[in-house]
Amino acid sequence: MTPPKIKIESLDFYYNTHQILSNINETIPENAITSIIGPSGAGKSTFLSLFNRLWETTPGARVEGRIQARFSDSFMDINDPKLSVIQLRRAVGMVFQMPNPLPMSIFNNVAFPLKLAGITEKETVQNRVTTAIKACGLWPEVKDRLDKKATTLSGGQQQRLCMARALVMEPEILLLDEPTSSLDPRSGAMIEELMVQLKPRCTLIMVSHQPDQVERIADQVIDFTPGSESCR
Amino acid sequence: MNRSFFQQKRDRNETAARALLFMSALVCCLLVVLILGFMVVTGLPLFGQNQAMDLLTGAWSPHNGGYGIAPMIFGTLWISFLSVVISFPMSLGCAAYICVLGPHGKATVMKRCVQMMTGIPTIIYGFVGVFLLVPLIRNTAGTGSGMCILSASLVLAVLIAPTMILFFIQSFDRVPRSWLDAVDALGGSRVQKLVYVVLPACVKGIVTGTVLSFGRALGDTLVALMIAGNAIQKPDSLLDSARTLTAHIALVSAADFESMEFKSIFLCGAVLYLITALVILGARLIERRGTHE
Ligand SMILES: Nc1ncnc2c1ncn2[C@@H]1O[C@H](COP(=O)(O)OP(=O)(O)OP(=O)(O)O)[C@@H](O)[C@H]1O
Ligand SMILES: [Mg+2]
Repeated sequence: MTPPKIKIESLDFYYNTHQILSNINETIPENAITSIIGPSGAGKSTFLSLFNRLWETTPGARVEGRIQARFSDSFMDINDPKLSVIQLRRAVGMVFQMPNPLPMSIFNNVAFPLKLAGITEKETVQNRVTTAIKACGLWPEVKDRLDKKATTLSGGQQQRLCMARALVMEPEILLLDEPTSSLDPRSGAMIEELMVQLKPRCTLIMVSHQPDQVERIADQVIDFTPGSESCR
Repeated sequence: MNRSFFQQKRDRNETAARALLFMSALVCCLLVVLILGFMVVTGLPLFGQNQAMDLLTGAWSPHNGGYGIAPMIFGTLWISFLSVVISFPMSLGCAAYICVLGPHGKATVMKRCVQMMTGIPTIIYGFVGVFLLVPLIRNTAGTGSGMCILSASLVLAVLIAPTMILFFIQSFDRVPRSWLDAVDALGGSRVQKLVYVVLPACVKGIVTGTVLSFGRALGDTLVALMIAGNAIQKPDSLLDSARTLTAHIALVSAADFESMEFKSIFLCGAVLYLITALVILGARLIERRGTHE
């Protein structure tokens, strides 16, 4: 197995006084797909939000314990207040369950993270956007309509666009929350294939409700079913 | 047999209820039209003595038979417009802080404050204006009484701010959560979220809220009455005293019922009514265009 990318030690998570996660100890290997499974409400999405600190946008949410991730050879505490959450989120991409393109053109959606990061040089933007869209297998479908609204795409295309948007920053870690659950089998298969292709340059963590999908692509499984502590 | 009997009875009840509700709706609509008609008809005698245009554009000089309400129209528009101009950046910033920029705890406290502001009686704002702002303006300007367009607009700006802020907040809150999550997850700062996603999505709401607040400023009586000085003149500068249509109506309605001055206030009412109706109609139109997109 590949070396660890993320180490989670005695982690607890609360929404106000309601404890969602308790005493989690896990290691997430680099350049692999780790799948999170478990029943609805078990805290899978919450767990995923720990890695890009998206939980911080929820008032009353609180975390205890340590999550260390290795960026450029040294481990650092993700929850360290000195760590810039904005920098963190640029290195940790996320794809949501429902495709969530922004109300702008297809091109601008993928270029948006670059804009946020202050990368404005036209050629660079053009190249990186094109590369990201191609990597998601979306290029033949959108190359003639890059200036059309992203909402004119189909659900499966929108999800791949969101993948492209997450990948344009070349994140080291990619979080996926049931990325194929709102898609037809064909679109789902394309996303799965893409995830496997991403392994050499990315650490992927995916929540999934589909046992066959987990069987197909996961290198490691973390089970959130209460009472089970299984890892494969 | 029984069944159809009950059926019929329910139907009859329903018809009665419908008729009643229709009547009340009709009364409301008719009232709106009737009030306008009443003001126009009662204002008609003025038209016998002057040209219609003189009434709307001429000067106010009752001793020479001049009942032009133009100074009041100008006063109203100046004060209302200026108050919106002052209030807009303040309200937009406040709403943005509450919805996007500020930390949750502080934002909630601020929102409660704004909600409370809507409940403060207008007269309190008038008081504060008279005793705090007017002397300040008088001393700063060095001339005049301090009762002027600027003072009235400043107080009115504070008065209409809660309306504007709450409308903006409502509009900001309608931005889909998934868009905000997307910006957060992509490493956008709060300011970037505001500028790139929230504001573009809320342009229609912002315009509508501003126009409606303008309508509210047009209709306000007390602030201008207490603070603008009520001089009947076409204002030339912000430090000039002015009288609004509303203040004019309030002041003159205390005068002799038979006088021509008294009759002129009905025209003022009609003009105010029309301007306000147009503004609100405009706002609704913008709002509707927004939902169709
Ligand atoms: N914003 C919130 N405030 C309070 N409680 C929350 C919040 N979000 C989630 N929860 C609670 O936390 C628990 C875990 O939620 P989470 O969304 O992580 O579950 P999940 O495993 O992803 O479920 P699903 O499979 O349905 O997506 C649930 O009991 C939920 O009610
Ligand atoms: Mg979930």
